[in-house]
Amino acid sequence: MKKVLALILSAALCLSMAACDGGSTPTTVGSQPAADSGKTDSADESKSGTKTIAVMPKLVGIPYFTQTGEGAQQAGKDLGVNVIYTGPTKADAAEQVKMIEDLITRKVDAICVAPNDAAAVIPVLQKAKAAGILILDWDTPVNDEVVDASVHQIDDKEFGEHLVDQLVKAMGTDSGDFAYVTGGLSAPNLNAWYDAGMAYAKTKYPNLHLVTDKIPTDEKQQVAYTKTLDLIKAYPDLKGIVALSTPAPLGCAQAVREKGLQGKISVVGSAVEADSQEFLEDGSLDSASLWDCASLGYLTVSIAKTMLDGQKLTNGMELKGKDGTIKLQLKSDGKTIIMGPPADYVKK
Amino acid sequence: MKSWKAWKAKHSNELTLLLILLGVFVLMSVLSPSKFLSPGNIQTMAFQMPEFGLMALGMMAAILTGGINLSITSVGALSGIVSAFVLSSPWAKTNPVLATLLAVVVCVAIAALTGLLNGFVIAYVGVAAMLTTLGTMTLFDGISLNLTKGGSIAGFPSLFIQIGNGSVGGIPIPILIYTVAVVAAYYILERSAWGIQVYMTGCNRIATSFSGINTKRTLLLVYVFSSVMAGLGGLIIISRYNSAKVDYGSSYMMNSVAAVVLGGTSINGGHGTVAGTVIAVAIIQMVSSGLNILGVNRYIVDIVIGVILIAVLAIRSLAGIYDRAKLLRKHTAS
Repeated sequence: MKKVLALILSAALCLSMAACDGGSTPTTVGSQPAADSGKTDSADESKSGTKTIAVMPKLVGIPYFTQTGEGAQQAGKDLGVNVIYTGPTKADAAEQVKMIEDLITRKVDAICVAPNDAAAVIPVLQKAKAAGILILDWDTPVNDEVVDASVHQIDDKEFGEHLVDQLVKAMGTDSGDFAYVTGGLSAPNLNAWYDAGMAYAKTKYPNLHLVTDKIPTDEKQQVAYTKTLDLIKAYPDLKGIVALSTPAPLGCAQAVREKGLQGKISVVGSAVEADSQEFLEDGSLDSASLWDCASLGYLTVSIAKTMLDGQKLTNGMELKGKDGTIKLQLKSDGKTIIMGPPADYVKK
Repeated sequence: MKSWKAWKAKHSNELTLLLILLGVFVLMSVLSPSKFLSPGNIQTMAFQMPEFGLMALGMMAAILTGGINLSITSVGALSGIVSAFVLSSPWAKTNPVLATLLAVVVCVAIAALTGLLNGFVIAYVGVAAMLTTLGTMTLFDGISLNLTKGGSIAGFPSLFIQIGNGSVGGIPIPILIYTVAVVAAYYILERSAWGIQVYMTGCNRIATSFSGINTKRTLLLVYVFSSVMAGLGGLIIISRYNSAKVDYGSSYMMNSVAAVVLGGTSINGGHGTVAGTVIAVAIIQMVSSGLNILGVNRYIVDIVIGVILIAVLAIRSLAGIYDRAKLLRKHTAS
């Protein structure tokens, strides 16, 4: 009696979860359940030739990656491919590895991943490649030969240096104390911006003084907020903060605003345009630089589809972008794609 | 016939769990036949389960004594990180075999040390297990953070990566390690003199102590055992992810408590079987993998596991009340 009851309950639970998820529209988390759950596995290989491209961000639930998801889904509709946009709920490399393993089982045609930790995903990407899946990285490079193409939204070096220029502009002086607040410590793109920025600052602005090691916030605005408060307390002469990863500038600006130090401390960083507005208004955030996230998502899918169709990437070739046709900027290694220069957002 | 019935009654819990496991397996297979039943998926599950299973075994030992080991994933991470230093050193590149062996030894050694610390404070100083391991969890995390500066240590010799990613005769190496650990745990906990002492200590520590058993030493060794299991789990984790970081596997801590309790181990200690824990781990793994293949939202996977846990515990509790009521009626009637 007890056993049967337990069995029925567990079965009912699993079925109800699968069923209710299959019927709903895509959730805020961004995964695409409609393609799979409730029915059997035929959906993925339903129409012959419809490719399935999996796009995995560092995490889901932050505006940046929600917008890239929208771009990717849009591309899926326009280009006639199945796009699965799914990622872990926190910036965790181990979770990404597990999800990629499940994607391999789902037999997708391409996996485009923005890794939280490049080294952690290399073994599982090798497994995917062995299973015949096309491998791309986007937003953050994996820096390994396992990827077939690497989509960069901007040139990392250019962006890192640009942020330092923005900081000096906002500070109004090129000498003083500043600090770096970053997202996840093992994210290659953030580290590339940091390294480029620091190297640039050493040569061009030798009087800029970094007060402490870069501060991690794991892509959490709340953490950036509390750590900035601590930073301000520890270094009262702090003049500027460069915040990397999109939640960070908002958190730092929040702290600066709370302390009323808009005039004294300049905050610049990478932030999404829509969210930066309120902080740009009162000056707690001096400038935000980024790129069109939705375009990045769109471009990634576009490139994946092109490669799945058997075309080889060439510099200058025309591809479908979010706002029309764009010319591909391919680096000499034949694998790295640059989307374009950064865009700055200031008070509207 | 009589002994079969007695055996069934004694192991009714494990049989129930086995039934649930079978039910989940059939359900998932029906919902996505070519994906769930594919050798690829079975392989993937076989790779993902051992690290969780080892953590659960480590947790089980602590819970058997009426305590708990909150530091289990921190121990795994710390031992993994120290081994990672060995593995990513330039010396390791030229001596991969030696480095791999040394890494395994270092991992287990560090884990054992942490276990000694836990065990000493819990058994000899007498601080409650939950508080002690809460403290050591934070301590070990802090040490790990200091060593890694929050980032990850990456880049191990490919021989070492084979431990977590390779297969021998089609069977993933982690499963082999896990099987050995399970068999060892079974014999150590359920079939050895020391194991009986563990159960006795968990059941009633004072009575056991008055029976002439050195409960302090028993507890100390329990936490060493717990930590070594965690260390092995950590070893597999860093091998699978080719890197070591302080928060790898952090989600396993609460899930391992769930697995242990689902497996029939009493949270107050004294009762529980290795088989039950192993089956519970398999159930949770299958539910998680099956739902992921179906494309179900990851949050929902956690909800399902939580609900299954509560349901099984509730049924067990209700069945216990029902049984006792039946017994009472039987005895008061006559």
